[in-house]
Amino acid sequence: MSNIKIKSKNLNVYYGDKQALFDVNLDLNEKEVTALIGPSGCGKSTFIRCINRMNDVIDICKVTGNIEMDGMNINDKDLDVVSLRERVGMVFQKPNPFPKSIYDNISYGPKIHGKGETKSELDQIVENSLKKSALWEEVKDRLDEPGTSLSGGQQQRLCIARAISVNPEVILMDEPCSALDPIATAKIEELIDELKKTYTIVIVTHSMAQAVRVSQKTGFFHLGKLIEVGKTEKIFKNPDNKMTQDYITGRFG
Amino acid sequence: MTKEERLKKRHRAEKRFRFYGLTSIFVALLFVIILVQNIFSKGSSAFKKTVISTEVFFDQELLEIQNGASQEEIMEADFYDIMIENLIKAYPAKDRDEEDELLKLFSGDAEIEIKKAFLNDNNLIGQTITLDLTASDDIDQLHKGNYPRDLPEERRRISDFQLVIYDYFVENKKISKNFNNYFFNNGDSRDPELAGIGGALVGSFYSILICLLLAFPVAVLASIYLEEFAPKNKITDFIEININNLAAVPSIVYGLLALQILLATIQLPRSTPLVAGITLALMTLPRIIIPCRASLKAVPPSIREGALAVGASKFQSVFHHVVPLALPGTLSGTIIGLAQALGETAPLILIGMVAFVVDIPSSPVDPSSSLPVQVYLWSESAERGFVEKTSATIMMLLSFLIVMNFIAVYLRQKFEKRWN
Repeated sequence: MSNIKIKSKNLNVYYGDKQALFDVNLDLNEKEVTALIGPSGCGKSTFIRCINRMNDVIDICKVTGNIEMDGMNINDKDLDVVSLRERVGMVFQKPNPFPKSIYDNISYGPKIHGKGETKSELDQIVENSLKKSALWEEVKDRLDEPGTSLSGGQQQRLCIARAISVNPEVILMDEPCSALDPIATAKIEELIDELKKTYTIVIVTHSMAQAVRVSQKTGFFHLGKLIEVGKTEKIFKNPDNKMTQDYITGRFG
Repeated sequence: MTKEERLKKRHRAEKRFRFYGLTSIFVALLFVIILVQNIFSKGSSAFKKTVISTEVFFDQELLEIQNGASQEEIMEADFYDIMIENLIKAYPAKDRDEEDELLKLFSGDAEIEIKKAFLNDNNLIGQTITLDLTASDDIDQLHKGNYPRDLPEERRRISDFQLVIYDYFVENKKISKNFNNYFFNNGDSRDPELAGIGGALVGSFYSILICLLLAFPVAVLASIYLEEFAPKNKITDFIEININNLAAVPSIVYGLLALQILLATIQLPRSTPLVAGITLALMTLPRIIIPCRASLKAVPPSIREGALAVGASKFQSVFHHVVPLALPGTLSGTIIGLAQALGETAPLILIGMVAFVVDIPSSPVDPSSSLPVQVYLWSESAERGFVEKTSATIMMLLSFLIVMNFIAVYLRQKFEKRWN
């Protein structure tokens, strides 16, 4: 029923001599939330960092195999990562707003990509992004204040607003709630529910409950291998694999 | 050992340590106080000079110029006779010998001071004005109380007769202390009362300026490249180790290097701020690169990732986010590096800045002195007047260093952004 937005085929990742991902074949559906679960160090984050080529930052990291978005090979050496990252936004584990004003945090992306030529266009983008990330009402009177003066949950929503300010197609979220309290977490989850109408979302999470609440599809990683993937309901109610069963019931991990 | 005994022992160890710490701080402070007190007590009198107020009559017969003479005419005119005629009237001397002794109480620049008064007002012919003429070094030191007058005459630079004249001046309130403009405006001189740090100030300023212009851009670009763009491999490690080694090389080695390359091979002019600036830049380069890299390193990687994730290129993430955040640390590192360069003496002595330069340099390629070298030069002079001048120059140097360090601390505290 849904279109496949991102398709990985035999994706392998190496950090120096150590292999971090083994032949991962995973399809991500358009305008859906895919949750990636698994114990620490299993390769979930490594996988999503392949989608926006964030692994390029690490000198010793080597990626082989195929990963495609709308038929375009992401792993192509000649691909311009700048335009890729314009289409694939990312939210990190720890909120990392720039130590600049709230306004500048959001307007930075559009500015470098040449979106929003005039001040009023930029104002509009900032307002829309903040509204989409459900932060507008809280900060509209203090856009000049530093982004770092916000609370942790607000900072994370600011980072989400920053990611959607360049109007991407895909948003990657690397444990976006791990540094937040339950109330802030609930807000972010609500927001994810709303954002999936517009964006394809991949979320790495350590919380089973969160995966159940926000995702339609879940992939379970273990030791660099994708063990099982399927509809979230199925994975959590009736997994095919014994290891998945053990992990979601808390027997290891 | 019981529990109480062990506990007591631990408390004793703590008390002992506090005592050691306080003692060392006290000793360090004591040394600083002794140093500062010594410099101040010797140097503060150099900011005043002794002047003798003297009546000067501009006699037409002794001058070959007229009222309203042009500046060039005045500059060329001879004021020697006017000076002699007026100075010998300052005290009722009986014969030639006494007049000679009287003349020695004035500085060697008395003629120029009279000429300057005429330059200010070229209608003085036929009039008498009272001028504050600078006293000679001996009178200056005597009046400041730095010179013991109870020594036997043959061990004094001032004769008994000159003391009589001095006492006469004091009695008639003709002698007083003025602000010593010569100390700031003049270049070096053989006469302590005329010597100043003007030349050294300008020389130091040019040297530091050239050092800043050369070292800052090179150091900042090198740090940014090494920290953000260079691949992490053996060559980068090797370069890093060597930068750290260069920062520890004794400064005199840089002087030798400059002597060989800049003076002998390239044949740049000796004793000039240009060569000094290049030498100091070489020396300062690694000392700026190290704090600069440290402040780049202190910017958390999450800021770089945040920028990259919205599609900034590597260059944009570095120059839009990392460099602005590292700037306060970079600037304060630069200022501290420059402060070190300002106080550097050894390499400058090797490139000939130790020469006796009277003129104030008008460009970086004129021979010049610099503040620390001036201290070195004067500290070797025998005259008493140079003792106070040496200390006063150290005071100037120290106040520049304190101001620079203060700016560095201020920049760091004011502009350092916090992230969580």
